[in-house]
Amino acid sequence: MKALRQIAALTRKDFKLQFRSKETLVLIFVFSILVVLIFAFAYGQVFPTENSDRAKLVASVLWATFVFAGIITLNRSFSLERTHGALHGIRLTGVDASNVYLSKVISNVVLLMSLEVIITPITLQFFDLFHAVTFGGLLTLFGILSIGTIGFCAVGVLLAGMSTTTSGGESLLSVILLPLVIPTIMSGAKCTVSILTTGAMEEPFWLTMLIVSSLVFFASAYLLADVVIEA
Amino acid sequence: MRRLTTSQISKHFGYRKIVNDVSLTINSGEVVAIFGPNGAGKTTLIKILATLLRPTSGTIDIENIDAIAEYAKVRHFLGVVIHEHLAYPAFTPFENLKFFGQMYGINDLEARCNTLLNEVGLSRFIHEPLHIFSRGMTQRFMIAKALLHNPLILLLDEPFSGLDTSARQFVMDRIAQEQEKGKATLITTHNTELGYHIGTRFHFMIDGTLEESIDKDDISEDTLLQKYQDRLIESGTN
Repeated sequence: MKALRQIAALTRKDFKLQFRSKETLVLIFVFSILVVLIFAFAYGQVFPTENSDRAKLVASVLWATFVFAGIITLNRSFSLERTHGALHGIRLTGVDASNVYLSKVISNVVLLMSLEVIITPITLQFFDLFHAVTFGGLLTLFGILSIGTIGFCAVGVLLAGMSTTTSGGESLLSVILLPLVIPTIMSGAKCTVSILTTGAMEEPFWLTMLIVSSLVFFASAYLLADVVIEA
Repeated sequence: MRRLTTSQISKHFGYRKIVNDVSLTINSGEVVAIFGPNGAGKTTLIKILATLLRPTSGTIDIENIDAIAEYAKVRHFLGVVIHEHLAYPAFTPFENLKFFGQMYGINDLEARCNTLLNEVGLSRFIHEPLHIFSRGMTQRFMIAKALLHNPLILLLDEPFSGLDTSARQFVMDRIAQEQEKGKATLITTHNTELGYHIGTRFHFMIDGTLEESIDKDDISEDTLLQKYQDRLIESGTN
């Protein structure tokens, strides 16, 4: 019970900090819109006419956008803790490092999923696919994005915790995180293509890989949280 | 009663030895003042005792618990003031105390936060974010935060730095009040005058090494100051 209360308080604090400054929220929203627009303009001359080709393009755009927006939120969420030693303040309360880790995963996942709920329909509209996706298909797509986001944030929070202690940590996070999350991004993108093309998950292998990679990342990062938070 | 004991703790950063074989005991009701110039290793020592840094070697016992192996168990015994806020500048003092109080699991938290903020003279600024506070106001907040969970041991790194006369007096009065309650306090400072007034036992720390312990009863303020300055000249740090 105590752990749950601490996780809830830590998560509430993260949201309060994010909504008070609004810096990260504005930054990731504007960044995501710009990425989608740039892709839409860049592919304007060679815009695919087939739905299946556009689905492949949209899947790439969505995952690229969310991964880079995710790196911004992960960096920001830990830099807020490191400046002025707030994380030391939390450590001094004797709270379990795994509770700090879980609260960070929850707040980052919720923040990114909120972004995905806004950006996904906009992207589908820009790439002329919105009409081709059913409501059920859209919900399944959000499910896939959620699983991928959990896997991404699970390992991302751990690495952001490590990288923000070093100089140039913000650039370092991209370099160490992206190679690690390739299985999650690849399987997530494959699942996204399948949903956008057929409206259902027709390749269970990629869905299994997405779930397994997310679970493995989450479990290993949870076990290593103490080492990183106490570093 | 022994609250905190260290035995030969050292801390290396690369090839540099910042803290060198420090053995120290702080008893209940004692205020131990460590005097040392900038770069002597005082802040590093406080961070090690606060379990925020792991020593390279040596042992630390806090309330008879091995503080290096079981750091999470001893942290609630400690009230810490260091150069960092240890809090969120975007939050008000009340929000900060409430959040950290939830982490400590303090009962009747709102009343406790209001009482503390009133005691440290910040009740007028309860709804102002911390980032607009002056150095003195921030120091007052940090003392309130350090006392939030009623810790047995206070570790105060340069608690008088940047404070005006009234704020210094406030910090000294507050340390004296906590001493009367039987708390053990360790302060680091390079201000021998204030340190002498508040301390009951003194150490010099030069180049990472903690030197002899001097009881207040055995030395006058002038002699302490003279001894400290002689020591600084000898070590070439003055």
